Amino acid sequence: MKLLIRTEFKRTFRSFILWASIIIGLTILEITLFPAFKDSISDLEAMMSTFPESFLELFGLTQGGLDLTTAYGWFGMEGYLFLLLIGGSYAGILGSGILSKEEDDKTIEFLLAKPISRNQVLLGKAIVVFINLVLLNVILFGVMSIIFASITDYEFETTLFICLGPLLLEVLFAAVSMFIGVFMTKSRTVMSTSLGIVMGLYFVEIIATVTDKLDFLKYFSPYEYVNAISVVKDHSIEPVYLLIIFGVILFSGFGTWFFYNRKDISV
Amino acid sequence: MINIEHLTKYYGKHARGILDLSLEVKKGEIFGFIGPNGAGKSTTVRTLLNFIFPTSGTATVMGLDILKDTVEIRRHVGYIPAEVNYYDDMTVRDFLLYSVGFYEGVFQERMNELVEKLELDMDKKIGDLSFGNKKKVAIVVAFATEPELYILDEPTSGLDPLMQSRFFDLLEEEKRRGATIFFSSHVLSDVQRICDRVGIIKEGRLIKIETIDEILKTKAKNVRIISDNLVLKENGNIVNLKQNLNTYTFTYKGDMNYLLKSLQNYNIIDLSIVEPSLEEVFMHYYAKGDEDNEVVD
Repeated sequence: MKLLIRTEFKRTFRSFILWASIIIGLTILEITLFPAFKDSISDLEAMMSTFPESFLELFGLTQGGLDLTTAYGWFGMEGYLFLLLIGGSYAGILGSGILSKEEDDKTIEFLLAKPISRNQVLLGKAIVVFINLVLLNVILFGVMSIIFASITDYEFETTLFICLGPLLLEVLFAAVSMFIGVFMTKSRTVMSTSLGIVMGLYFVEIIATVTDKLDFLKYFSPYEYVNAISVVKDHSIEPVYLLIIFGVILFSGFGTWFFYNRKDISV
Repeated sequence: MINIEHLTKYYGKHARGILDLSLEVKKGEIFGFIGPNGAGKSTTVRTLLNFIFPTSGTATVMGLDILKDTVEIRRHVGYIPAEVNYYDDMTVRDFLLYSVGFYEGVFQERMNELVEKLELDMDKKIGDLSFGNKKKVAIVVAFATEPELYILDEPTSGLDPLMQSRFFDLLEEEKRRGATIFFSSHVLSDVQRICDRVGIIKEGRLIKIETIDEILKTKAKNVRIISDNLVLKENGNIVNLKQNLNTYTFTYKGDMNYLLKSLQNYNIIDLSIVEPSLEEVFMHYYAKGDEDNEVVD
């Protein structure tokens, strides 16, 4: 299995570099914009007071929310969402391609003719996805620490949570995408479905936030599980949300294992 | 070596793969598995390697169950797929090293020897290779680990005659080493050239298992004669006789010496004797199968 992991890692490396560059580049840009923005903060606050409450809530700017006068608060409002959306898309694409691409390209026939079980293939590929996501966030943590430390008082815990939140969301999306990849073997279809889920759920989040009546929808929005106020300001994730996250990851993992071991691999 | 018992595979509810297929491949033999496209050859192969699950029936490979002992079976099997699909972005070298890396043992020397014999360029990307060259990579993949059993699905398609000949030399070497070979093909001449016994499959059913000698005995030839004074009539040996001016075509089932001697009495302008097409051989077996009203195991 080590051989499979090593080779898969090499095969996903190029796309890793591409996505990591985008995510890290945007993060650097976002944080370094803060000093310039800080000077005009009072203008912005005045402008914001004219916006409806629900709109501000969407950005975590209501009372008890993010403090825009700090670099972390600023990043929580501006950059954090980027991290969730772009990181989530990367995870969706990575998870959906890792199984389905082998079937789409028909290379699975090569792999399954080797002395390796379907479980080993699954586990090896899941490990590669997980390593990619962890590595992305570890690098991000390192870069963020340097940039934050250079412009403001460095907060270790806040920086850690800014990276942990997206990582949880990414693992969740990757697990669900892998599960979908068991049933759909055209990698493009799986990819669009996964991206559809990543983006679609963000709209669920918007609706859940702006309308009080549909508040229950927040349980269906992974973005709510790791929302900026909890993660960036309070350094916490509600237990019920953590339970849902791990529940869905476990369910997807079990489903992937169950169905992949029973399906006909017809190329 | 391979023991298939009443194996049936349906894709979905109605699409037929194979039906109640039973056969045995003995250790050390080259078993030809022949049939037209869509007959169920690849379905059989894929079931043996557990890419797909049988609807009913059982099979063992080297005494190991195809569903329970999949990994152990694959450890001892060299497989050439009908359609070669490997990782386009890898070089031949990286890919071959990846492939042999799954097995315990050192196979680099054997791999290099095969690459040389088949004249493969190790530095090329898989995606840049022609169909025939991809097939050569598949041959190296299957042969490099010196397996006990080869499962070959249309292995010669795409190979030029020189490479086909080298491939057959390799197969004979492996047979001498004691390997067993399951050779699936729709090319009759390939199977004739190398196989000890042949199983004929059509529309998912195995309709006959025979030795090559038996096949040759029963096999008819297509004859075309141009002559200005020939007189021919259909009989037990001459069937499907057609005449167009001076050209006679027929299927000849009898002793070739007798035919040639008889022709000496006539003025022959042109003569050709060719093997019947595979379809014709199948028709022959199908007709026979209907007469016997049975499916032979």
